[in-house]
Amino acid sequence: MNVSARTRVLIQGITEPLAQIHAERMRAYGTQIVAAVSPGYGDRRGDGATIAETPVFDTVDLAVQTAGAIDFTAIFVPPYQVLDAAREAIAAGIRHIAIVTDGVPPMDTIALIRAADAAEALVLGPGSTGAIVPGACAIGTHPVDFYTPGTVGIIGRSSTLDYEVALTLSEAGIGQSICVGLGGDGILGSSFSQWLQILDEDDRTEAIVLVGRVGGTAEELAARYVEAAIDKPVVAYVAGRHAGDVTGHFGHAGEIVNARISGIYRRIDDAAIGTAQRKIEAFQAAGIRVASRPSELPQLLKQATSEVTSSASA
Amino acid sequence: MDLLEYQAKELFSKVGIPVLPSQKIYYPQEFKRLGIPYPIVVKSQVPMGGRAKAGGIKPAANTIDAIAAAQAIFHLPIRGLYPELLLAEAKYDADRELYLAIVLDRNARRPVLLGSPDGGSGLDFASRSLQRVLVDDTFSPFYARRLAVAMGLRGRAIEAVSGAIEKMYALFASKDLDLIEINPLALRDDGEIMALDGKVGANDNAIERHRDLTEYARERQIARERHDKYASHDPLSAALVSVDREADSGIGVVCNGAGLTLATVDLLEWGGVRPVSFLNVGNEIYRAGATSLRDRLDRGLELITANPAVTSVFIDLVGSVTACDKLAETIVATTRRLAQMERSPHWIVRLVGHERELGRQCLEAAGLAYYASLDEAIAASARTARHPLEARLA
Repeated sequence: MNVSARTRVLIQGITEPLAQIHAERMRAYGTQIVAAVSPGYGDRRGDGATIAETPVFDTVDLAVQTAGAIDFTAIFVPPYQVLDAAREAIAAGIRHIAIVTDGVPPMDTIALIRAADAAEALVLGPGSTGAIVPGACAIGTHPVDFYTPGTVGIIGRSSTLDYEVALTLSEAGIGQSICVGLGGDGILGSSFSQWLQILDEDDRTEAIVLVGRVGGTAEELAARYVEAAIDKPVVAYVAGRHAGDVTGHFGHAGEIVNARISGIYRRIDDAAIGTAQRKIEAFQAAGIRVASRPSELPQLLKQATSEVTSSASA
Repeated sequence: MDLLEYQAKELFSKVGIPVLPSQKIYYPQEFKRLGIPYPIVVKSQVPMGGRAKAGGIKPAANTIDAIAAAQAIFHLPIRGLYPELLLAEAKYDADRELYLAIVLDRNARRPVLLGSPDGGSGLDFASRSLQRVLVDDTFSPFYARRLAVAMGLRGRAIEAVSGAIEKMYALFASKDLDLIEINPLALRDDGEIMALDGKVGANDNAIERHRDLTEYARERQIARERHDKYASHDPLSAALVSVDREADSGIGVVCNGAGLTLATVDLLEWGGVRPVSFLNVGNEIYRAGATSLRDRLDRGLELITANPAVTSVFIDLVGSVTACDKLAETIVATTRRLAQMERSPHWIVRLVGHERELGRQCLEAAGLAYYASLDEAIAASARTARHPLEARLA
């Protein structure tokens, strides 16, 4: 995963208010935002149309032709336009996509995943906070003040909770190598396992924090993957130990845990309920330390890292 | 949104899945003009499973029977819901009853076809008889035949059942469904099939791009309002969770983001406090029609303090777009407004993000307790609880 100060970033949907706010913050952080796309707002007459100080084009193709190759795109378009925007990015040769928009119809996401798999493109989201390499490059919605450069990678699937974890590490003097948000939608472009593999191979990352929560079975699969394939120290936090049966009520606009569907799965496969307890047990069975609260993570990271170091020197 | 049975069957009928002749009944007297021959079955139209067991489905051999059945069913709530209408449907004798469904598999990130030869209300989902076929590439009828064969079907039953699965898939994909289920699908020895009951769950994020589903949603909203004039359009009040009637800590929690809300509730429990209620006011969304985080925070504080059992409110916010001073201004203004309504609980505010220091100044100038550290804010909340169980953090 080569996200750096040289990573060239595109914003799709720059006319969305959220895109403009974040484009300005990303640019102020030093991210190279080389172009933006919004159909109908492009630079036609050579008048150098810009929004949020970014040259705007009608199509991704034109953006690439004019601004040059693009490494990463952040998609902010409304939910029903996400599939098309992502396909347009893939067709123009872009291979890293962060979908910030949430509430994308799941069949659209599945179609998008098929297109991304065929092109070997990596997708974060829908409902992703994006990716940040502290001190170098921010793509998405991360509050950049919370992050400091360092060697710990964070993979999460929430938003504010993931920010909280980064802040906790930063305040304890533990910097981060890269932090990614998988997204809050039911069907997601990439998984904990994919990013564990990426961070395992990333030279800047020495340890990994997984931030999980109740619902689904993403954490259980991650635990199995860590046990089978990951050499770097991994620690975890899981929110929702006391959520009990109320997880169906955690809905808000954009993300509603679909209790009805999980009800079906509950009947089919009892292991798929996704309680916090199950996830914690899965992590512990894989040798992953699980923090009882976010502020315990720095200490667990130190323990896990020193253990690996001592076993390596032994 | 779960469609009602008659709505599901209208969709089935449109794509050519056989359904029985039926008629919608809004008043028992309508049986005097019934257009289908007896014997019939009278079925409560509520979006719930287990209607037969609850007494919401009754057979009728003639008009007198039917009116009596209808009167009983109209007055029978199923999990708290009364039917707006009934479905009168021809009776059908099946040789076999199968189960068919399509759902999304979140981990495989693909639709999955489900089928069992043991359909009907007695279907045990944990049983080995439930077969699964993952649609890992573009759908093609062979996936449906794989399922039919895996269900143990032979001869012309294979084509008959796989044909129904194909049509279900067409609906599933074209209407953005979370779930489509036929249980039971009647199968006769001559190969005739009939969808006797059906369930369709429409994906809430996609309803608006399907005119027919939007219309069903509108009808349901009208029906809901007719029954309950206090029915709420407010998604925030629907998101408010009352934890436990027994919880007497007095603590109410307001957070932004589902994960953070879960974590905050966990931390309070860890600190020995079970909150009375909690509310996730949501993330920063700037979509047409979406309200701002500041508006939702204002409304959220009003909702959480509406319960007199809440004597202490813990506000835990991690800002990403809206600066802390703006959020603090909202909190100060709302707490003042609520004070005029004689709602003056203890306020504990934990607020981090952009312009944190300005936020702190704004809150402290108004006399509100501010914390930057989550653990310290939890401990402070625990101290204001009426009956701390075991304050580990204090």
